[in-house]
Amino acid sequence: MKPRSSGPILVFLLLTALAALASLALGDALLPPRQLLAALVGRGDDLARTVLWDIRFPRTLVGLAVGAGLGASGAVMQAYFRNPLASPGLLGVSTGGALGAVAAITLGSGAVSLFTVPLASIAGAFLATGAVMLMARRGASAEHLLLGGVALNALFGAATSFLVLVSSANIQSSGQIIFWLMGGIENRTWEHVWMALPLILLACLALLPLGRAMNLLALGEAGAQSLGVDVRRLRWQLVALSTVLTALATAVGGVVGFVGLVVPHLVRMVFGPDHRRLLPLSMLGGAILVLACDLPTRFLPAGMRLGVVTSLVGGPFLLWLLRRRPC
Amino acid sequence: MLSARGISVGARLQDIHLEAHPGEHIAVLGPNGAGKSTLLAALAGLLPVHGTVAWNGQELARIPFLLRGRMLAWLGQESHAEFAFPVREVVAQGRHAWGDDEAAVDEAMAQLDITHLATRPITQLSGGERRRVFLARALATGAPAQLWDEPASSLDVRHALEVYRLAQQLAARGSTLLVSLHDIRAAYRFSRVLVLERGRLVGDGPPHEVLTAHLIREVFRVEARFLTSLVPELPE
Repeated sequence: MKPRSSGPILVFLLLTALAALASLALGDALLPPRQLLAALVGRGDDLARTVLWDIRFPRTLVGLAVGAGLGASGAVMQAYFRNPLASPGLLGVSTGGALGAVAAITLGSGAVSLFTVPLASIAGAFLATGAVMLMARRGASAEHLLLGGVALNALFGAATSFLVLVSSANIQSSGQIIFWLMGGIENRTWEHVWMALPLILLACLALLPLGRAMNLLALGEAGAQSLGVDVRRLRWQLVALSTVLTALATAVGGVVGFVGLVVPHLVRMVFGPDHRRLLPLSMLGGAILVLACDLPTRFLPAGMRLGVVTSLVGGPFLLWLLRRRPC
Repeated sequence: MLSARGISVGARLQDIHLEAHPGEHIAVLGPNGAGKSTLLAALAGLLPVHGTVAWNGQELARIPFLLRGRMLAWLGQESHAEFAFPVREVVAQGRHAWGDDEAAVDEAMAQLDITHLATRPITQLSGGERRRVFLARALATGAPAQLWDEPASSLDVRHALEVYRLAQQLAARGSTLLVSLHDIRAAYRFSRVLVLERGRLVGDGPPHEVLTAHLIREVFRVEARFLTSLVPELPE
């Protein structure tokens, strides 16, 4: 059961680097290669340096973190539930984060500091995570967790809708809410980077060694346990890591749909279901997709936000692949 | 030696005592719902039980999962195949507790006649073929105790006979086998039978002694007629 060549991973790394470079260079203020290089090493004109270091770098790094987090989280969910349709939003973590953010915007209107919304979002996501962990600790089966997630999603969704309607009188905050619910990584700062990137990186690194055991889990829990996997511990690790990833990604990127569903799915169709390869490729693939989808939002009309573009690109692509070959 | 001392699992299994020694191949019989699958899963350490399951005198619940994986192999009735793993990778999962061993994987695949399927995704196999893949995975563990829950279900007659012969060969080499069966007649190919009825052990011994017309009437509620009829056998 040796992992095959690392070729695809190198290709994905290269693509990630290219997407990141494009994300640093492109926008209202175009940074051609020479200017980009100069600004990178701290030379060149002030404007280019400011654009690169204060605007583009945080945006790019947040994009990388959000994409990798959602991609990895989706791959974990799909193995855990043995269902290729599972996604990070499934357990109610995204909607929990959304509720937290919307509540903060509604209640705090006007005097919202930079941290209020992400922190409230993290709090909401962890509230959902807590509920999920409680169910997992009681030894609930995957099906139970799934139904619990449906219930949480409905609950948080209803509360969010209520808050959106309540705040509709206040044009400013309702605009903010709608933008947040549609997901996006513009106007991010280094604070957002430090809030999400280190923990997302750590959670991703903690996931990588679990790939082999996840392969066994994907073919049945009892069978995996009989072969020597501590299934209860593994399930706990997977739920904890994937919810942390989703919570952090949602906190800094808003609700970015489809990445967690479509990326692991595409990677599996092309490179097979071996999680030792699927996990790293889903992380990189998620980062590539988010960065690539963020690029056009810089030139398109204001409504075309990241969450809209990822769904517009991901949906048809998945349909096309499903037509070409069955999963 | 695999032993159960007074194990119960809810109402599904009640106060079972048994010892299974190396070299024994044991058929587990009983009508639907008698507790055959529950017994095998409990012996494999996959269910919380009252009472004690022990392997060579050591209580199973105290043995770490990885070490259990080296001693006991289990084949369940359900096999999931939502993801398109190639057949060989599934069989190789049997080596999880030990580390890779290409030769053991090759041998297990040859014994279950699935070598030609090595690169096929399990999602594309028939029910019987998939059954043999998961049986090969259990075999590849090299575990000295093999617990198979209905291994012959959905197998054609030849592959079913090969599975019974495999059980016999493994036992001859010192393994302990417990195999649950639907087909009472196949029990005569085993050295010992256990008969379960509503969670209780009602018969234990050599097949020709245990499987009397009386017991079959009481447990399975059918009449047994002992006569000579078509008996398929593998060619020598």
